Amino acid sequence: MSGVRISGMRIAGIASAVPDRAHLPTEFYELFGKEEVLKVVNSTGVHKRHLAPPGMCTSDLCVAAANRLLCEGKWDRQSIDAVIFLSQSPDYFLPFTAALIQRRLGLSTECAAFDVNLGCSGYVYGLWLAGSLIAGGGMRRVLLLMGDNTSHVSEEDKSVALIFGDAGAASILDKTEEPGEFIFVLGTDGRGAKNLIIPAGRCRKPSDATTRLRREDKDGNRRSEEELYMNGAEIFAFTLAEVPKMIRQVLTASEKNIETIDSVILHQANKFILEYLAKRMKIPMEKMPLSLGEYGNTSSASIPVTMTHCLRDQLSRRKMDLLLGGFGIGYSWGAVTCTVGEIVMPEMIFLGMDEIDGKP
Amino acid sequence: MTRKEIIPQIEILVEADAGALSEQTLLSEITHWDSLAAVGFIAMVDENFGFTPSPKRIAESKTVGDLVDLVIANLKGQ
Repeated sequence: MSGVRISGMRIAGIASAVPDRAHLPTEFYELFGKEEVLKVVNSTGVHKRHLAPPGMCTSDLCVAAANRLLCEGKWDRQSIDAVIFLSQSPDYFLPFTAALIQRRLGLSTECAAFDVNLGCSGYVYGLWLAGSLIAGGGMRRVLLLMGDNTSHVSEEDKSVALIFGDAGAASILDKTEEPGEFIFVLGTDGRGAKNLIIPAGRCRKPSDATTRLRREDKDGNRRSEEELYMNGAEIFAFTLAEVPKMIRQVLTASEKNIETIDSVILHQANKFILEYLAKRMKIPMEKMPLSLGEYGNTSSASIPVTMTHCLRDQLSRRKMDLLLGGFGIGYSWGAVTCTVGEIVMPEMIFLGMDEIDGKP
Repeated sequence: MTRKEIIPQIEILVEADAGALSEQTLLSEITHWDSLAAVGFIAMVDENFGFTPSPKRIAESKTVGDLVDLVIANLKGQ
């Protein structure tokens, strides 16, 4: 859909959390060789990432972000009408994680709660979903949580081992009488499903001894079928085909152009892709903040993480016209233009293993 | 754009010396031809020739000449 309009909603607050453990590419020198690692880092731009220790889930990061946000914004927990957990890394196969989060955050039992399975396009989809609940679903305040962790990435697979970081984010969306519209473009092309996939371990191909076995592919990368496979060239070709089109569509639908947008915050896929897109779309890099150097590609959390890392001071003080764009796994993509500002925005949270709140 | 003009651009991409590659050079024998170079090739073709080459056909390419074929075929509208 192109040009979906939602009014009567505002972003009231955003918080982001990462595990306190930072990892540097030097850790991979022994495995891949220094020259090879530096080549990858030079292309991806990921100089540091924060990775969750075993036992720290995406939900733990989201709960930390939500608790900080609710405290700083002095919001009554009973006022949350719905909580959405958008992630590809739930606590359990079942039950859905949002139910556990409802209890951990002490939200009302009259709160609607559900999970959504999306990745890199997730923040835009999440805003559209929350906006729909507010505009037509009778909700007044929605807590939108999202993020992923990299536990299903093989450290012996150079195509993915050095890129992804763990993060969780929380946003509060409020019903408002203020004018202003969120204008969305959303899309999907399932032909790309095979290019970013964990092929085994669920219903289509259940886990067994062979799916857990790491094998070497033609590029020398080792991974099992229960670990993430990414075809970087296909993803890049998809990005070139869809992202410039998506940005043009959302600008046209909004009657805006790059000059009138204060900041373009794109999913932090990697530096090469983002710089190439900026060049092709003629977006000045000063308008395109990056967080991937410090946090890596943080999946659905990458847009709020970038807002916290790069725009916190500005967004706390003033209103900005933003263009947000996500694209990736599925394939799935979404972009939105909106005015955001004077919102509650805590500093980045660095979560330690001993600081996890209300672990189930 | 002729076939001969495309090869120097591939040389830049894989950090090879000027004139080091020929159409017959096997991609498997080029040190820096890898998945990152394939992404770089897509960007180079997109930027200079205005279309996105098929990643599948890049993966199937055996020689530098095969990559040149990809570009020339598209330019001829095949």
